[in-house]
Amino acid sequence: MNFKRILAVTSREARGMVRDKLFFAMAFIVPALLMLTFGYGLSLDVMHSPLAALDYDRTSMSRDYLHRFMDSPAFSFRGYLKSERQIYPLLASGTVRAVLIIPEHFQQNLLAGRPAAVQTLIDGTFPFRAQTVKGYVAAINNSFNLRELSLYLCRTRAMSRRRALAGLEPIKAQVRCLYNRNLRSDWSIAPRLMMMVMMICPPFLTAMGVVREKETGAIYNIYSSTITRGEYLLGKLTPYVVVSIFNAVVLWLIATEVFGAPFRGGRLFFFASSVLYVICTTGMGLIVSVLVGTQVAASLVTFIVTVVPTVFYSGMFVPISSLSPSGRVVARLLPAMYFTNIVSGCFLKGVGFKVLWSDAAVLAIYAAALFMLGYSRFHKRPAS
Amino acid sequence: MTALLVWLRRLRVMTVKELLQFSRDGALILFMVYAFTFDIYLAGSGVHFELKSAATVIHDSDRSSASRELIDQFRPPSFRIEGTIERGAEGTRLLDEGKAMVVLDIPPRFQESLLSGAPTDLQIRVDASNSVLGLFAANFCSRIAESFGFQAGLKRLGVAPDRVKYLPRVRNAYRVWFNPNQNDTWFMSIAELLNIITLFAILLPACAMVREKERGTVEQLLVTPLTSFQIMFPKVLAMAAVILAGTTMSLFGVLRYCFHVPFRGSILLFYAVTLLYVFTTAGLGLVISTLARNLGQAGMMAIITYGPMIFLSGAWSPPEAMPRFIRTMMLLSPLHYYIDASYGVLLKGAGINLLWRSILGMGALGGTLFTLGVWRMRRQFE
Repeated sequence: MNFKRILAVTSREARGMVRDKLFFAMAFIVPALLMLTFGYGLSLDVMHSPLAALDYDRTSMSRDYLHRFMDSPAFSFRGYLKSERQIYPLLASGTVRAVLIIPEHFQQNLLAGRPAAVQTLIDGTFPFRAQTVKGYVAAINNSFNLRELSLYLCRTRAMSRRRALAGLEPIKAQVRCLYNRNLRSDWSIAPRLMMMVMMICPPFLTAMGVVREKETGAIYNIYSSTITRGEYLLGKLTPYVVVSIFNAVVLWLIATEVFGAPFRGGRLFFFASSVLYVICTTGMGLIVSVLVGTQVAASLVTFIVTVVPTVFYSGMFVPISSLSPSGRVVARLLPAMYFTNIVSGCFLKGVGFKVLWSDAAVLAIYAAALFMLGYSRFHKRPAS
Repeated sequence: MTALLVWLRRLRVMTVKELLQFSRDGALILFMVYAFTFDIYLAGSGVHFELKSAATVIHDSDRSSASRELIDQFRPPSFRIEGTIERGAEGTRLLDEGKAMVVLDIPPRFQESLLSGAPTDLQIRVDASNSVLGLFAANFCSRIAESFGFQAGLKRLGVAPDRVKYLPRVRNAYRVWFNPNQNDTWFMSIAELLNIITLFAILLPACAMVREKERGTVEQLLVTPLTSFQIMFPKVLAMAAVILAGTTMSLFGVLRYCFHVPFRGSILLFYAVTLLYVFTTAGLGLVISTLARNLGQAGMMAIITYGPMIFLSGAWSPPEAMPRFIRTMMLLSPLHYYIDASYGVLLKGAGINLLWRSILGMGALGGTLFTLGVWRMRRQFE
């Protein structure tokens, strides 16, 4: 190892990066912009779902029942329908996401002390939304029932409203949402976005940087020089790692300052693990760049190889325990999951090195393995 | 007549050239196959946006038949009982380490108070560091507790269990249309297919164009009798063909064969919409290619446009929950129209009579972008 040669490659690479002003600017703008757009845009709260109603009963009670839906922020009422034939086009075109059908004799049945049936048709195209809508419908239905039943008990058992209600609701569930008391989705998403953005951008920068030399032929200068491949790779990748570490700090600032996500863990530990993670993802870019020969391929490959596994197999949206057994194996094979553990531990939970050291250790092993692999696959004597 | 023939022949020659160039990049083809098959399979299988096997830990200070009955309600597939603990503090530790998602604390004398009718508090701690699942878990748990309390309350008030169904209550029966089992696989695999199509439709034409600029071969093309349109359009044509081939592969190889997605509408209509979408998005790629000077810049710009397109598409964030400003922005995202149209055709069986608005919106956007791309290109070189 000759540090002078490493330094020469590093300064050459850094200069090349700075001279391409647009590329250099975007190396910093892209991560921040991705973080901001997704942080603001990726709201998973299902609110104001458009709803229509087909009321065959048209009594004060059926209107009262419907009003509970209209008044809820979960739904936005789009009007009464006249016949069942209107339902399919509305649901199929996505104009409404749910339709409530109240049959005749709704009020009559309830007043006579008999159960009444209503039907909710839900658009299941987006299962996650259907699930949430179902939950809201059940909650509204329950609260209506509780009132009806307590009124019924008042009438038939001669007990007070309060006692009837208390008798029907003996258990008060005190649900405490830990770490994120108000269930703010930006608090939960912003730190994880850090993980995602740092998985997409460093490999992209690195792969493009290395493959550009291959594609334009500039790499032959390296092949014919005295520099060893270890020195070349170290020198070449250092500027990208430095840029990415800087970006990681910027993203951390965005997460804490712009989105206000609470950071409760140790800063030093988190910084160290972020550096490890950035080295990992840079290493992934290195692997991609030794496998492909053109920049088109490099950009597509880094994108495809990084995005899906990090979004779905890292615990970002879907916890690891909810994945299928094969999905759990995929998750364990990738660095994203370990850094997600660190991110959510350090940000919201406020746990530190004591709990998370094993995740950090895996990242370190991963980084070392990736660089070894890249080193062994990179040759100064191309095959052809 | 001959002029038209020459025009068409030029188009053909250029398209063949693009296809040849594409076919020589082995790594790219390999990853394209990966993207349209395995990547979509990965996204479609194993991902569930629901509460599934949430690790639940019980701290039962009562150990009565009532508490056991309540614990029984936390059953699979939504919950998975991981074990019981003796002290409440242990629950905090398990939550911290991510080993438990829900900790249920049943207070002492739980059964006694249920029987006497005294109100009881049930402590449920939920890990909400993932807000969506935290919300699901919180709602689910309180619903279980409420309905358990409701049953117990009715029993105490002297309503026999078999009489419960004759009480005056509203029974709300759900029917979920288009995807009755709320199969996440269908949603996810289609969503991923659309994402992949978008990515390729932006990047491939943009890169094909920028590569010519970077290597200087565009100068060669400009001294030929070809017009700007004749240089740009074959690139889009060739890449559209490649993308449609990939789409076919994943439609029949992955979506139908592996995931049994019902193709309720006309597949031809889906292809037509896809083609229109590819042209629209390729127009965006061409605009990028006139702005970027090298492939590195083009790739970065593609990422910048791709990110917002995904989140403005309405697949992840429901449009009605968004602020008005963002909802207006959504009208500018071609993916927004494409998602409506493709879910409409594939899952809902909608025809052109229901989708014309989306198709029109996409066409208008595409025409504008394409014209902009050609205009900028012409300005740069002529």
